Amino acid sequence: MKRNKFIQITENIWEIPTDFKPGMRVPARVLSSGELIDGIDDRVIDQITNVACLPGIRRYALCMPDGHVGYGFPIGGVAAFSVDEGIISPGGIGFDINCGIRLLRTNLTYDEIKPKQEQLLDELFRTVPSGVGSSGYLKLNNDQFRQIMQQGVNWCRENGYAGYHDVEHIENRGCLENADASVVSKKAISRGINQMGTLGSGNHYLEVEIADPKNIYDKATARRFGINLDNQVMVSVHCGSRGFGHQIATDYLQVFDKYSKQYGLDVRDRELMSAPIKSEEGKRYFQAMACAANAAFVNRQLIVHGIRKAFRKIFSASEADLGIETVYDVAHNIAKFEEYEIDGRRETLLVHRKGATRSFGPGRAEIPEDYRDVGQPVIVGGSMESGSALLCGTTVADHETFGSSLHGAGRTMSRMKAKKIMRGDALQDKLRQKGILVKTGYIRGLAEEAGYAYKNIDMVVDAVDNIGISRKVARFYPILNIKG
Amino acid sequence: MPFELTDQYTCADIGMLVSGTNINILFSDAAAGLTSIMVEPDNLEERKRFKVTLDADDVEGLFFNWLSEIIYFKDAERFFPKRCEFEYLDGNGKKLAATLHGDIADPERHILKTDVKAVTYYRFKVEKVDGLWKAEVVLDI
Repeated sequence: MKRNKFIQITENIWEIPTDFKPGMRVPARVLSSGELIDGIDDRVIDQITNVACLPGIRRYALCMPDGHVGYGFPIGGVAAFSVDEGIISPGGIGFDINCGIRLLRTNLTYDEIKPKQEQLLDELFRTVPSGVGSSGYLKLNNDQFRQIMQQGVNWCRENGYAGYHDVEHIENRGCLENADASVVSKKAISRGINQMGTLGSGNHYLEVEIADPKNIYDKATARRFGINLDNQVMVSVHCGSRGFGHQIATDYLQVFDKYSKQYGLDVRDRELMSAPIKSEEGKRYFQAMACAANAAFVNRQLIVHGIRKAFRKIFSASEADLGIETVYDVAHNIAKFEEYEIDGRRETLLVHRKGATRSFGPGRAEIPEDYRDVGQPVIVGGSMESGSALLCGTTVADHETFGSSLHGAGRTMSRMKAKKIMRGDALQDKLRQKGILVKTGYIRGLAEEAGYAYKNIDMVVDAVDNIGISRKVARFYPILNIKG
Repeated sequence: MPFELTDQYTCADIGMLVSGTNINILFSDAAAGLTSIMVEPDNLEERKRFKVTLDADDVEGLFFNWLSEIIYFKDAERFFPKRCEFEYLDGNGKKLAATLHGDIADPERHILKTDVKAVTYYRFKVEKVDGLWKAEVVLDI
């Protein structure tokens, strides 16, 4: 691969010019630290430069520092398309539509929960179903599920599963407005209707974490986000739209495959199948994707409801005393219409984020009022050994990355290889010795998510902080983990 | 080995290579391979069955739909096939009618493993080479 063509723009930004590959309409930009650029797979470069060939793309095809090989777009890929000339692509969003992370704060400290942490882990494992074939605690009928698709978390609020602050502290207030249930297949509904409130499997998790004061980098912003106690207990949940979203992506990938053949569209990678944003097929996919995004917001909210129940039971305390509140909820597999300045004029673009988090800076109307003067919380998931990170959005992201930042540590080792290095039960013991209790329905699969299978979260977080597209607020270390 | 699972294509997901001397074997072994990622197959019994009828423009489309159907049954019915009985699978691979014999997920009896979200088109290929059917597919985990 012609890496000598890469141009280093700043310490952490590398540009791949349009003459790197025939058909590139814009340059690609890989965000990385100097150390990490060498570790970026050739296939990631191939994928992000394929994205740069798509019609209507604006400025750059971007890859975040946690980028790794995906389908169509790399994971960590961001691209924005003109509404008039551009496309929408399921390969730029991912099969798990609105996979994302919810971060909760509590009024509890580590010392207060330590004596009961084993019981808490068992109770969380019971209240939040995980793994293959699991069903949620709600038995929904088709009407209720249609409301969930179209109303998102407002449905939870109306039915007693969400509080006012939950709704306010979710990206898009937990509801994408363009959702239209009539463009969703019966198959998608059948796959998802029994799964609301479940974690799923793979890299999805529920984690109880601690905010150690020595890992708070910006105390004022941390306080604004509800982190105001030494060794405060935090909870994070990583999951998405479950089988419902997976089926919508599958359905529309096939629709777009046919469309591409019919219109003779030249796509380098079949997973980059797409349709013009203004085409009927493109509009329908956007509406269906919005349904899945709304279902994912609801899924995480119903999990939060289960978490609150588990804490109430174990600590025999009221909701007010426990203070389990949503810090924020971010979507990291999604496409949204947003406005940016392109060549000196404001333009509405369809921003695809696949394994990338929105990172809006201070002042944006889309940010909850109580965070608006500091910026949007950006939640970054790590491995079960490293815990997660909390960052804050910046205006630099608006200019550099279409208001986007990283989403996780970034996988570097295959699941099969990770399992060969250590047995699941041995990893569980090792983590216990480090003070991290892990529970899973499939112990042999535990090593797939071991810390050694991921990039160093601190390095990728430092990279985005250096670039300026998010700034560090806090790091949390894990104590309890449920691996889906 | 009727199927081979591989990590050579992506690090986050699982690739599967399948081959068969006829198209029925290819489809049947691919179903077994996919199921083995989600559940330990040895403990599955034939307690339930579902009929499947599918069509597509070509054999690749039919193979894609076939695997997608098995993923669908995992979520919608919590069902895993143990054996596939083909009533009809034409030589061009455009139409299929089959009965899936298998089991409903039960954590007491089964070792439930990893969820498969979808079949992808990444490196997706079904072809007949020197009389042998071969397929290559990456499954999203």
